[in-house]
Amino acid sequence: MKRKNNDTRLLPPAGLGERLRRDVLLNWRLYVLLLPGVVSLVLFKLFPVAGMVIAFQDFSAFRGITGSTWVGLENFQRMFTDKYMLTLISNTVIIAILSIVCVFPIPIIFALLLNEERSRVVKNSVQSLSFLPYFISSAVMVSILATMLNPSTGIVNVIIRHFGGDAVNFMARPEWFRPLYILLQIWQTFGYNAIIYIAGITAINPELYEAAEVDGCQRWGKMIHVTIPGISTSIITMLIISIGQIFTVQTERIILMYNPSNAATSDVIQSYVYRIAFQSLGFPDYSYGTAVNLVKSVLAFILVIIANKLADRFAETRVF
Amino acid sequence: MRRRIGAFDIINTLILSIVGLVCIVPFLYTFFIAISDGKFLIRGDVSFFPKGVNLQSFIYVFTNPRFDIMTGVRNSAIYTILGTIVSVLLTYSTAYVLTRPRIKCRYLIMSLFVLTWVFDAGMIPRYIAYSSLGFIDNIWVMIIPDAINTQYLIITKAYLEGMPKELEEAAIVDGANDFSILSKIFIPVTKPIIATIALFNGVAIWNQYLVPQMFLKTKELKTIQQVLANVTIGTEGTTFANTIINGISLNQQNMKAAAIIIAMLPIVIAYPFVQKYFRNGILIGSVKG
Repeated sequence: MKRKNNDTRLLPPAGLGERLRRDVLLNWRLYVLLLPGVVSLVLFKLFPVAGMVIAFQDFSAFRGITGSTWVGLENFQRMFTDKYMLTLISNTVIIAILSIVCVFPIPIIFALLLNEERSRVVKNSVQSLSFLPYFISSAVMVSILATMLNPSTGIVNVIIRHFGGDAVNFMARPEWFRPLYILLQIWQTFGYNAIIYIAGITAINPELYEAAEVDGCQRWGKMIHVTIPGISTSIITMLIISIGQIFTVQTERIILMYNPSNAATSDVIQSYVYRIAFQSLGFPDYSYGTAVNLVKSVLAFILVIIANKLADRFAETRVF
Repeated sequence: MRRRIGAFDIINTLILSIVGLVCIVPFLYTFFIAISDGKFLIRGDVSFFPKGVNLQSFIYVFTNPRFDIMTGVRNSAIYTILGTIVSVLLTYSTAYVLTRPRIKCRYLIMSLFVLTWVFDAGMIPRYIAYSSLGFIDNIWVMIIPDAINTQYLIITKAYLEGMPKELEEAAIVDGANDFSILSKIFIPVTKPIIATIALFNGVAIWNQYLVPQMFLKTKELKTIQQVLANVTIGTEGTTFANTIINGISLNQQNMKAAAIIIAMLPIVIAYPFVQKYFRNGILIGSVKG
């Protein structure tokens, strides 16, 4: 850049250095406040993303990122020939699709029912109870599930035996993993997600209901013609967001529910990566695990971006 | 325009009451097992309501050093308190600066936060990065790296942007600097958002299982969630052995149940008082970020 220092009295002032100096002098207090945030952004958010380069290496913990050998796309080639990868991907996608199909409509139905409730006491107390499970840890939720489903002492098997059936070891059966995962997902999220719809319903103009009544609408008609259209924007937004997060499975829950006997359905990309890194005997294959995760992250990223664009266009809301 | 109560109302109330009950029955069941005498449990006499009510199982699992429950609770409490303070300080001050128009690089910084939030680096690169920064078996791993959760940063920023401009204009005329505008004007009027992010962060740290499982391997540093998963799901093979104390028999079942209740107790106790902030959290978050 060519410097013109001969006339500093005219605006805009010269050189970049000078402008920076003035900016810092004027705003140094704000920069002090921002510093911890920037440091944590660089160290804890950007640094790990940069660390993903080990997907293109044969990473060794002893030699570090700079000392490890580069292998190009070898880890990705291995992935596409790995037969187990197909199981992982299909497990991940099936869980994700079930999460949308089975879990998504429930908070909407719940909000609609709650809206029809006359008694304030019932309405408020049921709503309060409904979103408590959202704040309980995965470790507690899975532990409770394991206690209730215990083959010898759990209440479910006690009931099954009472009616003459044979006890089932639910937590170890691959065919039971998905229903149980979805059950926990519903239990933990429906009340919390319903809050958005309930707020949406509250915001509907009461005159619309009166108009519908004049038109002869009964309770059912008002729900179809006023309430549901009134929250359609929220519904579309929430649907787009959940499609965008299709790869975001509840990693903690899956890792806690995973065991070798139900692996056929419970092993997903994240649990596989976790096992590679933290539970394998001998030297963990960090590079391969990262390569698998990188493919997942890229797909998830594209989905979120598309979802955000769609939400912006169809519902005039953005997630970010 | 009150109408008479019809069949629909009765059925609706019934359905909603059942839904409300179903949400908490598993917690109640676990609690009832924990306070029941083990000898009734063994005989299968406890179907739902407790028999031989006592608190021995809680006392035993909490105080017996072999199970590490007390250590876990103490550690989790320390991590939660420290982590919440650090999270609130960092999230709030970062969000505040990122709403100031004078800071030219604010869009770049916010975009990087959002980008690294949407694009997940994955467990392994995070593990390598954090361990190279010295976070293995270091309690600060529960406090520092996740102090700024991008989701809460977006919520806080949106909330601060909603504050009327007139609020600070008078103060600027009076010659207040950025520190005093923050402490004397913003913090007092934005207490609800501070409470909300404090609670969300606090709950997240208390409930965290994956991060401590990745980084905290020493027994003395483990959190209550790790200890719980170990005794109930047997991730590391610690098991409760049957025993009799003061004539009350304790077995795997009521001791596990007691451990579960201990791990969720702080949240359940706080819940009635703070649920309106939890409710606010999702509503602020659902407004455009």
